[in-house]
Amino acid sequence: MIEIDNVHKSFGALEVLKGIDLVVDKGEVVCLIGASGSGKSTLLLCINALEPIARGRIVVDGIDVHSKQTNQDKLRRKLGIVFQQFNAFPHLTARQNVALAPRKVLKMPPKEAGLLAEQHLEKVGLGDKIECYPAQLSGGQQQRLAIARALAMSPDYLLLDEVTSALDPELVGEVLDTLRMLAKDGMTMIAVTHEMPFAREVADRVAFFHQGVIHEVGAAGALIDHPKEARTREFLGKIL
Amino acid sequence: MLDYTFQWRVVWKHWPELFQAGLLTLQLTLLSIIIGLVIAALLAVFKDSDNPILKSASIAWIALARNTPALLQIYMAYFGLGAFGIHLTPYTAVLSAVAFNNAGYLAEIIRGGFSSVPASQKLAARGLGLTPAQSYLYVTLPQVLRAVFLPIVNQVIWAMLATSLGMIIGLQELTGMTTFLQSQTFRPFEFYFVAACMYLVIAKIATVLAQLVAAYLSRGGAVK
Amino acid sequence: MIYTFTANDLWFMARGAGITFVLTLVAGALGSVMGFLIGWARTSRNPLLRGLLGAYVDIIRSIPLIIQFVLFNSFMAIAGNPLDPFTSGIITLSVYISGYVSEVVKAGIESVPAVMSKAARGLGMTYAQDFSNVVVPIGMRTVFPAWVGLMLGLMKDTSLIAVLGATPPELLRASQIIINRIQEPLLILLGAGAFYFVMCYVITLFAGRYEKSWRQKHEVAR
Repeated sequence: MIEIDNVHKSFGALEVLKGIDLVVDKGEVVCLIGASGSGKSTLLLCINALEPIARGRIVVDGIDVHSKQTNQDKLRRKLGIVFQQFNAFPHLTARQNVALAPRKVLKMPPKEAGLLAEQHLEKVGLGDKIECYPAQLSGGQQQRLAIARALAMSPDYLLLDEVTSALDPELVGEVLDTLRMLAKDGMTMIAVTHEMPFAREVADRVAFFHQGVIHEVGAAGALIDHPKEARTREFLGKIL
Repeated sequence: MLDYTFQWRVVWKHWPELFQAGLLTLQLTLLSIIIGLVIAALLAVFKDSDNPILKSASIAWIALARNTPALLQIYMAYFGLGAFGIHLTPYTAVLSAVAFNNAGYLAEIIRGGFSSVPASQKLAARGLGLTPAQSYLYVTLPQVLRAVFLPIVNQVIWAMLATSLGMIIGLQELTGMTTFLQSQTFRPFEFYFVAACMYLVIAKIATVLAQLVAAYLSRGGAVK
Repeated sequence: MIYTFTANDLWFMARGAGITFVLTLVAGALGSVMGFLIGWARTSRNPLLRGLLGAYVDIIRSIPLIIQFVLFNSFMAIAGNPLDPFTSGIITLSVYISGYVSEVVKAGIESVPAVMSKAARGLGMTYAQDFSNVVVPIGMRTVFPAWVGLMLGLMKDTSLIAVLGATPPELLRASQIIINRIQEPLLILLGAGAFYFVMCYVITLFAGRYEKSWRQKHEVAR
């Protein structure tokens, strides 16, 4: 369970998170929607401690993420993250990309890590690209590689930061298919996304961000089809 | 640890000579860059020309200038040319060798600058109805200037450092004069220390000036 | 009595070329290690450390190598620890090239997109694991050509060690000794130039081939 309790965060004078409260249960898929700059992506970075917070608390499975006593490197193994920008390591093949963290972080023997990598690459449909370098992969394939890389650490949660936003339209589908499959397998996910049909179909709940606060949160279908708040309606009206 | 008394007064006594020598270094540096730039522009054009003689001459010049030590180039100018009956003074030898060297490096900088401007820029300019000359002058050239400016400044600093090799053939630029003075007074550390500071000051002034110009050139975005 | 160029002289020059090569290798290795550490430290968040090392590099890059040689030499003599010219030559060359290497290393580290590190840290890697497995391999490949250029520059700069009267003579000093004897400067200098040229050319060729081989497959497609 991820408990986010009154989280505040600023970049200089700009307050990007102004008291966020949200609880995500095991097995749940929650989509964060809202205009760019509303703080969604920042929240993801705060959840796995890639960004510090100013006030409040984030607790993952009983561990206070931002406490000084917490080993954040160890904690991040629980929380896989995939970004909007392509971030496959360009100097490593697909297999090496996926095997790197299991080898270095979990101290897995190279052979075992390689096999694990193959399993996960096959799972995301890259079974025939195992020896390819990122430069030889399309954007959609690179994003699936990044997902496989996160999965290889057997995370309990997956944080997805607009993973389809940098893709050409025809490549979005293959990445969303992979995420659908993970949702079906029961993976807990928090996804920042602009893909409303996807959110309605896959998410259990949707949270609408506006200027650093969660304006409305509710069951996916209900919120997207019948938003209660005027701001939510306005945002959805622009995007749908 | 230091059982040594530093004596700076003797350096101060010879300050006029050092200052003159510093001016000579500055003069050599600037002349070698100006001559180098003119030749480099020609080399850059020749390297892409259809004339096989000009092309190979340019390739050879650039390769020789870049792949042999500057000191060897100075020796060549000072001792080597004697075989052709050409006897250069130390000043001319250093100037021509450093200019020869600069030309080779600057030619590649200029070529790199031109290739950094996307072809679409020229097309866009022509598409707006600019003549070839106008598109070159108002669109291509300003972008080339941005790209080559900082590398050229680095080359200026490098040329200044290279003129110090004149000392080896007896030219009394800053390093040569320093060597001469310290041999008269047996105070090598003090003299070389002051000379080092003078080089540092010249380089610092040059870089600060360059940054001001770069800021102007890069208005509307960083120099790429 | 007229002296001529003999096979012995050619051997003497070839040995000089060998010494040039060894000097480059030793000073290049030491200077690269130092330069790597300095360049890395210059990407730190500590402004004092960054400022100090930045000034250090500025100084090294603004003073002629000859002056650095003699200054270091006379300083060691003053300090009561005179070094033999060869050792002090290697030390000065290493320090000198480390300044330039640190610039290249810094640029390499900074060229790695921040999202790469975020991805690595997001997988649970520590700063050290991220740095050694992700940042360094990606960044150092980007600046590899620039580093090769520095090493070639270093090779040409080893000719200045002769100013210290260093023994044994490297290529240019060896040439000069022969010139003094047989008074054929043009011929000998052309020969020395050819030696340098070939050494530079061969290194450039191999470096280019190596770079091309990984660039083809590793570069991120845009």
